[in-house]
Amino acid sequence: MQVTTMTFSVEPCNQDTVIVRIGKALDFRNAAEFKSTCQTQVRSGARNFILDFSETGILDSTGLGSIFSLYRQVSPLEGQVVFASVSRPVQVVVQLTRTYKVFRQFPSVDAAKDALV
Amino acid sequence: MPDYSILVVEDEHTLRRLLEYRLGKQYDVRTASNGEEALERIAEKIPDLIISDIMMPKMDGFALQSAVQKNKETSAIPFIFLTAKADEQSRLKGMRTGVDDYITKPFDIEQLLSRVNRLLERTKVFQEQLDAKIGQDFSRRLLPKNLPDVNNYRILFHNNPREHGGGDLFDWMEAAPGTYIFTIGDVMGKGLQAKFYAFSFLGYVRSTIHAMLRSTHSPAELMNRVNQVLMDDPPMEETFASLLLVKWEPEKNLITYANAGHCRPVLVGPDGCKVVEYSDMILGLDPHAEFKDTELQLPDNTAFMAYTDGLSEQVMVTGDMAGEGGIMKAASKAFAELDPIDSLLKNILLQSKVPEFGDDILVFWLQRKGLDWFAPFPEKVDHQ
Repeated sequence: MQVTTMTFSVEPCNQDTVIVRIGKALDFRNAAEFKSTCQTQVRSGARNFILDFSETGILDSTGLGSIFSLYRQVSPLEGQVVFASVSRPVQVVVQLTRTYKVFRQFPSVDAAKDALV
Repeated sequence: MPDYSILVVEDEHTLRRLLEYRLGKQYDVRTASNGEEALERIAEKIPDLIISDIMMPKMDGFALQSAVQKNKETSAIPFIFLTAKADEQSRLKGMRTGVDDYITKPFDIEQLLSRVNRLLERTKVFQEQLDAKIGQDFSRRLLPKNLPDVNNYRILFHNNPREHGGGDLFDWMEAAPGTYIFTIGDVMGKGLQAKFYAFSFLGYVRSTIHAMLRSTHSPAELMNRVNQVLMDDPPMEETFASLLLVKWEPEKNLITYANAGHCRPVLVGPDGCKVVEYSDMILGLDPHAEFKDTELQLPDNTAFMAYTDGLSEQVMVTGDMAGEGGIMKAASKAFAELDPIDSLLKNILLQSKVPEFGDDILVFWLQRKGLDWFAPFPEKVDHQ
């Protein structure tokens, strides 16, 4: 019985690539919802995920964990998870956990689109 | 508002729709028109509460209630009967069979809503109390009962698990005489689930280390193995953890560590702090991740301090998180104090937005004593 108040908007790019807008926060309050949003996308064929962090002020370890789950789901399918417009708080978490080796980063959603689509 | 799921069982179409509409404003409502259908709905997904009419075709409310009670998975679901006002017999029978509440028709919808609320609230409180109890038990088991006692060293440890905190873990073992291995980690996630994962993860880490001790004491090699376990073992699929493995050889004043995406430790001395920089990727994400050992000669009168993200993510008055910067500032001030961890935490709380910690707090302090370290405590004796 998770408290869910936020929703994630998803914008399809092409058949197997989608953009997910993370919004202000991805943390223990909405990580379950993020997971299920992404799962729905994977089920309908999405493989590449562009996560838009332009507005994100909070990314806690539960939130990051939900991104990791997504990564483990799509990487056996040759999919990718990339980060776009990474804000400073997100950058700090990515640095600490050394996960920039796994998640490619792009200055903007458009740049990520160019690289993936 | 939590997304509670309510099952409404009522054969009368209009009333069923009315209940669905009114309750649907607050809850996730599903409906059934008799007991049989209700059991099908329950099999699809177990509701948090059932509201059922008594007189229905095919399978009536009593039969439904009895079927629900017989099933272990559903026997604890709060059950409300809707009874016709005149039907005193049914009401009494309902009370006897362990129904949680009954509402007589025609009923006041507000009254029904408030009873539903109350029942769900009570279930929630009960669940939370149970979670807290189990969580505390896990937390206790995730903590060491004692610490190594070694000449010329001072070892301190502080842990304050929160009910809704995460999966912090700490452990140590003497790998060989004079060689110790400390394990500090944080399993991602919150609440009871994280604590449970942390508990099972710690089991993996301990058995991995024990199994490998004969062939290696290298934290990096141990780390590689733990990562493999997390990647290969399906039950651990959803487990991600940051882990700091520290080998300590006090005779040589030598620390060798491997860091898998954990908060970077800090060296604290009388002249300030320094981050112990090198680290590798967090565990459970990349099967090809590589981990490296880093050696540190611990200077005289210096502490090696490790912590978990509850400390660095504490929100300060500025609205920012404490971060490495905030921790180092607080640690520098705390270094000379009698109880440096206690003082460090107080310093951070003084700068916090809310004067209490929002998450689990775990701090480990391994200090090589200074040459002037004699009992009772290094005091300035200039004036004597």
